[in-house]
Amino acid sequence: MRHLIIFPLFVFLISCSSEVFDNSEREGERDDIYLSTYSPSSSGDVLVKGGRVLTGTGEELLSADILIKNNVIHEIAELIEPSPNAKIINAKGKWVTPGIIDIHSHMGVYAAPSLRSNSDGNEATSPVTPHVWAEHSVWTQDTQMPLALKGGITTYHVLPGSANLFGGRGVTLKNVWSKTVQGMKFPEAPYTLKMACGENPKRVYGSNQEPSTRMGNVAGYRAAWIKAKEYKDNKNATRDLKLDTLEGVLNGEILIQNHCYRGEEMAIMIDISKEFNYKITTFHHAIEAYKVADMLAENGICAAMWADWWGFKHEAFDMVWENVAIVDQAKGGSGCAIVHSDSGIGIQRLNQEAAKAMAAGNRAGFEIPRKRAIKWITKNPAKALGIDDRVGTLEKGKMADLVIWDSDPFSVYSKTEIVLIDGIIKYDHSDPNSPKPTDFELGIISPNENRL
Amino acid sequence: MKIVYTFLAVTLANFLFSESLLFKNASVYTGNVDEVFEDHDIYVVNGKIVEINKDLDLSADKIINAEGKVITAGFISPYSHLGLVEINMLAETRDDSSSVYSAGFSISQAFNPSSTLIPYNLNGGLTSAISTPSGNGLFSGLSSAFSLSGENKSLLLKDLALYGSIEAGGESKAANLLLMEDIFELTRTFNGDLDKIQDHALPKSFEYSKRDLMAIKRVLSKEIPLVVPVNRASDILSVIEFSKNQNIRLVIMGAAEGWRVAKQLFESKTPVILEPINNIPTSFDNLGSKLENAALLNKAGVRLLISSDRWETHNAYLSRQGAGIAVSYGLPWNEAVNALTKNVSDTFNIPDRGTLSIGHEADLIVWDADPLEVTSFAEQIYISGKLMPSNTRSLMLRDRYLERD
Repeated sequence: MRHLIIFPLFVFLISCSSEVFDNSEREGERDDIYLSTYSPSSSGDVLVKGGRVLTGTGEELLSADILIKNNVIHEIAELIEPSPNAKIINAKGKWVTPGIIDIHSHMGVYAAPSLRSNSDGNEATSPVTPHVWAEHSVWTQDTQMPLALKGGITTYHVLPGSANLFGGRGVTLKNVWSKTVQGMKFPEAPYTLKMACGENPKRVYGSNQEPSTRMGNVAGYRAAWIKAKEYKDNKNATRDLKLDTLEGVLNGEILIQNHCYRGEEMAIMIDISKEFNYKITTFHHAIEAYKVADMLAENGICAAMWADWWGFKHEAFDMVWENVAIVDQAKGGSGCAIVHSDSGIGIQRLNQEAAKAMAAGNRAGFEIPRKRAIKWITKNPAKALGIDDRVGTLEKGKMADLVIWDSDPFSVYSKTEIVLIDGIIKYDHSDPNSPKPTDFELGIISPNENRL
Repeated sequence: MKIVYTFLAVTLANFLFSESLLFKNASVYTGNVDEVFEDHDIYVVNGKIVEINKDLDLSADKIINAEGKVITAGFISPYSHLGLVEINMLAETRDDSSSVYSAGFSISQAFNPSSTLIPYNLNGGLTSAISTPSGNGLFSGLSSAFSLSGENKSLLLKDLALYGSIEAGGESKAANLLLMEDIFELTRTFNGDLDKIQDHALPKSFEYSKRDLMAIKRVLSKEIPLVVPVNRASDILSVIEFSKNQNIRLVIMGAAEGWRVAKQLFESKTPVILEPINNIPTSFDNLGSKLENAALLNKAGVRLLISSDRWETHNAYLSRQGAGIAVSYGLPWNEAVNALTKNVSDTFNIPDRGTLSIGHEADLIVWDADPLEVTSFAEQIYISGKLMPSNTRSLMLRDRYLERD
């Protein structure tokens, strides 16, 4: 869809008469609105000097300089001479990682304070709601956002909840303060579609409405995909928001993010994707991913996992501490493991969650160094969100999203010192006014006292 | 002479039937002083700690080389539903609430030492836990302390605290405080004759059984504390005031805005059960929550007990991650470990546990490194000198699926 965004006028002109440009076009469909308006001011030259760098590509550099030019990483080398105007950040004795990415967040849609008026994450009125978009629920002044920033989160993916078989579209946001959601949207990030397996959809409906069983869930997915295929093949069909989203999946433009705990359910979801010829990008909350780690690796599907949560539901009962490591090491290390939060608490320290998962894996006999484990919260989620061409690693040409830690980020004692997003300092521990409080937090403790 | 014979007999008996353990060259944090003793030995006989010192030249049935390891007392969870729940969302697996009793509901007989949660939490570093009732009423009942040895006789101390809430039932907190006050006043006059007090001053629909009133009587006589979850600074002050007026022992749980009233918490000698990781303003009652809370309270002299997130029974042991985070935000390391051990046993009068002291039960943990560090783990866990199994369902599942290739 990206070429449509670049040439919206051209597309609009030809959309009535031609089918050759893009097979998703349809009467009334507009791809030139709802776009990101995020545009950072120029960072100028920034030189991060002498840090111990985990690049996210699998490398560790014991001491390196990182030069940022105009919001983008320009060079990484042992020693870079600063230009006269460069802003210099001394990272000697510190650790540097890519900006942390959480692939599973409900910030904005389940905001804090969590009031009834703020509960905007589950359109739990029907099990099939692919027409709703999480971005239309996001409260930009959620107090969890600056806390996540302090934890090193530079990009996060907001999903609708898991009440429904099809919960709606997710949105990828940059962790920047803005008065509009459009001002936070990660430019040209693909849309995603939340699907959910198992206990939640069948519990939320169930009493006198399908689905009430896991087999009811599966029938519900398949029935929806049958409609989507018909819609895809009939460009003259009346426009339907639900089917627009499902068609986007069938066209490979919208990425499936599938809440799914159990191994056998993941295998069934893979079968369904084969029946209707679409791709599952990631299984989320994949407590039993270790049971099907080879299958996930063979099918190129990532698993997003917690380090140790379990037992709140029956489908979360078979947790193993080595889950992340086993997925990572599957098929000769070709697995795609992600550590996610699904929590306003966890998102503040995905580094510690990754550390626990790494330590458990190493106790089980794997040899997983930090430089590999850091990918679980940087490169791999970027890949699963379709934005790894721009973030997730520290490489020339990438967006300059990076975190400077006061010590080893795989430690409970480690804290962020500076968080840069597109080369601009968004959090600085030495600045008492940082991170910037949300509107909600201004004067909320007392007329003269902000929350943060 | 008789004394000497007795002494000899006891010594002989110990020699014949006892089991002794000698932990060598560990970094030992006893909890009795602030410092960590390097290269220290711990001598355990019949499950009790007999001596802690450098270079103990003693023979023992078993010598454990603990060089490079850290030994602490076993951690004690101050709040969870361990032994009372298997799967949170399935009521049929829960044994932690009652709609019949309120204050008098003792969970002591519901504790399941074979609960699937216990091996996980034991291996996470907890050797004992205070298991609490849950409920939405003014009083949810009485908690008890249990050993996590998995053995049938796990009860350490029965009915050690009463749990009350001023956030119950959608009522104003003021109404709940008034109701609590009325019930307490009523209980003071209660002499076993229920008829005499039942149509007394309580609002309609509030009925208390004899068992409930007897539990409250124990609070009024200061035999056990009242634990109240509360977060807002002004609410903390109201509850402190209430406890002063009622002349009871109070423990506050949560205290997200505790740092704003740290002085009053200290002056009223109110211990606080903290969940140090909870810094999100989830409601208008905890807008001031922040990670520095633990350090600020400690600085003011408040006694801290650290728990996991209170909803997190399955990983109650993650209290130690919370303790580590509190340390990174300014709480001294030894205070953090005390908050996981001796402050819990002291507050709730759990005997012979919480510190490594002569005569105490040998509930101790051999850590591979700093116990507050997320990458550390408990290598060996002893309860009353007995080495606990290190296996869990999690490890068995892991091994089943690792073996496949």
